[in-house]
Amino acid sequence: MDSLYVAWRYLSFNWLRTATLIGCVSIILALPLALNFLLDVGERQLTARAQATPLVVGAKGSALDLTLNALYFGEQVPELISMAEDEAIARSGLALPIPVYVRFHAREFPIVGTTLDYFELRGLSIASGRTLGVLGECVLGATVAERLGLAPGDSLLSSPESVFDLAGVYPLKMKVVGVLAPTHGPDDLAVFVDVKTAWVIQGLGHGHEDLASIEDESVVLERRDGNVMANAKLLKYNEITPANLDSFHFHGDPALYPLTGVIVAPNDERAGTILRGRYLQEESRQQIVRPDEVIGGLLQSIFRIKDMLDAAMATVGAATVLALILVFALSLRLREREMTTMFKLGCSRATMARFVAAEIMIIGAFTAVLCAAVLALVNAYGVDLVRALILQQGG
Amino acid sequence: MIHIRDLQFGYGSSNFQLTVPVLAVSSGEKLAVIGPSGSGKTTLLNLIAGILKPQKGSVHVGEKQVDALSDDGRRDFRITNIGFVFQNFELLDYLNVLDNILHPYRITRALKLNAAARTRAVDLAAQMGIGDKLKRKADDLSQGEKQRAAICRALLPKPKLILADEATGNLDPENKMRILELLFDSVTEHGATLVAVTHDHELLPRFDRVIDFRDFRLSQAA
Amino acid sequence: MSSSAERFSVMRTSLSWLSVLLIASAVTSTTLAEDRLSVYVVNYPLKYFAERIGAEHVSVEFPVPAGEDPAFWKPTAEMIAAYQRADLILLNGASYAKWIATATLARSRLVDTSREFADHLVAGGNVTHSHGNTGAHAHGNFAFTTWLDFNQAAAQAKAVMEALARMRPDIRASFERNFEVLQSEFMALDAELNVMARKAANRPLLASHPVYQYLARRYALNIKSLHWEPDRVPEESEWTRLAAMQREHAAKWIIWEQAPLEASVQRLNAMGIGSVVFSPAANQPERGDFMTVMRANVANLGRALD
Repeated sequence: MDSLYVAWRYLSFNWLRTATLIGCVSIILALPLALNFLLDVGERQLTARAQATPLVVGAKGSALDLTLNALYFGEQVPELISMAEDEAIARSGLALPIPVYVRFHAREFPIVGTTLDYFELRGLSIASGRTLGVLGECVLGATVAERLGLAPGDSLLSSPESVFDLAGVYPLKMKVVGVLAPTHGPDDLAVFVDVKTAWVIQGLGHGHEDLASIEDESVVLERRDGNVMANAKLLKYNEITPANLDSFHFHGDPALYPLTGVIVAPNDERAGTILRGRYLQEESRQQIVRPDEVIGGLLQSIFRIKDMLDAAMATVGAATVLALILVFALSLRLREREMTTMFKLGCSRATMARFVAAEIMIIGAFTAVLCAAVLALVNAYGVDLVRALILQQGG
Repeated sequence: MIHIRDLQFGYGSSNFQLTVPVLAVSSGEKLAVIGPSGSGKTTLLNLIAGILKPQKGSVHVGEKQVDALSDDGRRDFRITNIGFVFQNFELLDYLNVLDNILHPYRITRALKLNAAARTRAVDLAAQMGIGDKLKRKADDLSQGEKQRAAICRALLPKPKLILADEATGNLDPENKMRILELLFDSVTEHGATLVAVTHDHELLPRFDRVIDFRDFRLSQAA
Repeated sequence: MSSSAERFSVMRTSLSWLSVLLIASAVTSTTLAEDRLSVYVVNYPLKYFAERIGAEHVSVEFPVPAGEDPAFWKPTAEMIAAYQRADLILLNGASYAKWIATATLARSRLVDTSREFADHLVAGGNVTHSHGNTGAHAHGNFAFTTWLDFNQAAAQAKAVMEALARMRPDIRASFERNFEVLQSEFMALDAELNVMARKAANRPLLASHPVYQYLARRYALNIKSLHWEPDRVPEESEWTRLAAMQREHAAKWIIWEQAPLEASVQRLNAMGIGSVVFSPAANQPERGDFMTVMRANVANLGRALD
């Protein structure tokens, strides 16, 4: 205890030196630990989700973009496919198709248009409110609800997408009906809507005043053979309410409505193989990918980079350890006068060594605490970071 | 108290040679050692304290033959039986005054740091006039106060022998007298023996006896 | 109106059938309530099909209140939630039950029972409109009383059977057996109607509402539709329009979807037009079940085609 007390006195007297030393050692230790931890978490998350997603069908092109969009709602929007693809899989009887349409945003969060089957596939449970009921409703991921401070009963505007659609996608005021329990995955950061609602956002479906019973004739361009042609004055609703819900309808053939992908859950392994075979044919304009393979590939390239980083870090670490030894040796030299005093007072070399050892112990303890704190922080905030990084790497 | 006989000591590398045929210091005596620099005064103190070991002859302190003890034995003997006061105080700047006074207790198992020792340390400091400075860092003290703290440290284990190596050398004249008096008082109070190396001839009359290293003449105090 | 003797025999056969069913289920009834498939439907015919085929293995819910037309019923949020909890949701297809288009339901639970003949649906005349450059489109564009073609009814029943069997492959055989019985009943009705219709090919007929498109198509009936309500005596203008229509479409019979007011019947009789009821049975009938109602329908129609 005495040696710890004396060592503590020494270290706190020279607090600046001590703090610098602890800081340096902590950084050197915490950096590779945190990096490893993050990659570990990232890998586990990515892999778990990829493994929980048997197959994804999308337009031919980057398998990575497709996978990242369908699984992690990545920024990169792959080429679109049509709802007919989903129907075809459903008709095949080989698998359950779950359409995903991840293209629009509400604030910075992706709007995921899908069906209730998605919630079941991912095992998502409603923490408050209820699940999607009708058009125009949305269910928020836990983080979205928390960051935007929204609860069931509130509403959320979709963000206009100016790049794609010059005609202008009117923001849709969505009604928040539920908030999901946290999953610590991408689902926490998404706004879920019925895929039909996503189409309404795009302008494929809309609600407006009943033209047949319209009273303001200035809206009507032309009436011919039971067809009423309206001009731009026609009031289009940008919020779906029980009162106007029935007026919402879709134009064109619903089978041609767009999706970014279809998550496919085959009935069994055989069905999966048959389905994959169908898409391998040359003329198919769609591809079917196995997310675990795609993510495996992505992770491999990440780990190659990490290996290099590790090597660099090991070199830096070794150099730093040498530098630390030098610093310590020099500081002992600086402390020669003090040592002489100690010896004159009757201090043995062993006791002196105990004091130095106690100092190292204290520094070690502080370093450990600091490293643990850093790792705790990384644990708390790092997961989102990894997700963002990996998604960017994909995009 | 001290008995030196046929002592010979030399540092391997130089031709310096200290020879003390016989030196006896009786219990309670206050002995001054004078002489030019390099004449071996500090060496003599170190030999008595067992920090150095003579090549020939013997050094007895009290009942113990110091030169016959092992390294650890000499260290323990020194720390429990001999108080050392240095010219440059040898205080540790990172400890406060109280911790400096108690420091010998923290570097050896031969002394037990208990409540009694702490109380004594506080009392001693009060006696020495630095009772209000116990929580101050050693660096913050004046020269005189530093030496008072160093004397407290030397006296705390109740040594039978105090060795002072130019204890007043770095002090102004006023402080010199006061410190010396304090040292004398406490030595007397403890019934200890004092061997002091000094350059200050004006202090000599206060000692019982003076040894001059110039001719190694033993002179009787006036 | 059908003769009471006929109706009695119809009821007797269905009753005996039911008792057979009850005895069979009593003998094999090991099915616990929890094991039952929870099936939600959008109209009464599907409820009937599911109950006939699923028997003791299903618990069929049809939440539309009596007297309301299931095609235009609007569920509450709680009702939608109940549908969402079902193991199976049987849809009629042909844009039946408008609320389905705007509700969120799990695709894995949905069964479009008319998918097999989705390409042969009859377009229903409704107001189309266009805005922007997307071209004209109509809302609710199909005639939806698909089951009034008994061949189609059998196809829908088959879709129900397949859906149940997919959920419970272990008792597929039982579902198949039940379906085959049901199918044979449909085929009997189909054959009966065919024979009757052939005798009266091209005979002009009237319908109180345009709900008999599939019936007319299947059995080659020459039906023109009015928009008359059975519970209201039509206005004078409507009688005038009917008189005009009679000049080129000299119908001797009008088919009502439910019993009309006596006043209407009298006035029609005076014009030489007889009334028969052919109930679509979209909602639960007050008396009997789907099959008894259809048998009565066929018997009723038989008078018009005789």
